[in-house]
Amino acid sequence: MISSYILPILIFIMLVFATIKKTKPYNSFVDGAKESINLIVDIFAYIVAVFIFIEIFDKSGLCDILTKVLSPVFNVLGIPTELTKLVVLKPFSGSGGLAILQNVYDIYGVDSYIARCASVILASSDTVFYVSTVYFSKTSVKKLGIAIPIALCATLLSTILACLFCKIF
Amino acid sequence: MLTGIILMIFKSPDLIISSMMSASESSVNLCISLLAIYAVWLGLLKILENTGFNKQLAKWLSPIIGFLFGKNIDEYTKSQIAINLSSNILGLGNAATPSAIKAMQGLDPKTGKINNSMTMLMIVNCLSFQLLPTTIMGLMVASNSTNPSGIILPTICTSILTGVIIITITKLIFKVRKKHDK
Repeated sequence: MISSYILPILIFIMLVFATIKKTKPYNSFVDGAKESINLIVDIFAYIVAVFIFIEIFDKSGLCDILTKVLSPVFNVLGIPTELTKLVVLKPFSGSGGLAILQNVYDIYGVDSYIARCASVILASSDTVFYVSTVYFSKTSVKKLGIAIPIALCATLLSTILACLFCKIF
Repeated sequence: MLTGIILMIFKSPDLIISSMMSASESSVNLCISLLAIYAVWLGLLKILENTGFNKQLAKWLSPIIGFLFGKNIDEYTKSQIAINLSSNILGLGNAATPSAIKAMQGLDPKTGKINNSMTMLMIVNCLSFQLLPTTIMGLMVASNSTNPSGIILPTICTSILTGVIIITITKLIFKVRKKHDK
């Protein structure tokens, strides 16, 4: 696959570029890598909070209730009912989404319409709640205003379009 | 969150603490693997930054950045946004996060209130534009798919159409708000 060559080539070009420009790539690397530990220390607490939230959301059955309620609505929008749980859980948890995706592959077959829909849905949306907590963890902002509603609308829209495009192509 | 806890009190009270602990445990594991990933990426990105490539990239992307995030952004933040956007497009989610955090800091007005540029940066990241959905395609290959690249075209179409619609709506909301404030 071509994709496995992209990164090594990029990194190679980067190092050649740094050598030509004489910017001491080793020192730069160490400087950059040093920042990572502070970054993790800063975002750690936020990640714990989001994870607990997701776990409670899933284990309490709230996720299943939401799935049941939303199924008919999603059906009207052209989203297969089998994928409701995926759509509900995805904004919260990336790994949860991938686990459901694998499950869908196993049940319906990886090349089925449902599986293709699920793949495109996951590929074209991000974990809204995770992104929002981590991205804003080092800022003074406490309330995100319209950012989350719009991001959730984007997720829903991309889900509908994903199912549509999977039918066309 | 509260509803979830209440539901659990009725259904399985003994699960509350154990699921909180297991969630915390998995977040510690995630943070450790993130530490490894970020160390590599921040290191590589620093090499790139010191070569001056970031500024060049920011210059190339500056029409897009100006359109999406406004003109009053300092050089450093601009280059972080440029890195964030390009790593999203290349499907390098792990490189996108640290640059997004830095960019957010740069855009932060320090008043505690979110501004339009920050809203836009978050939304653009949630759209997850990418040319090659490598993670998903990897999973498909692992499940013996006959046509893993078949999802590329629908994914790109979905991303672009969603992006255009959502960014237009967001811009409209910003405009309406501005008028309202006057």
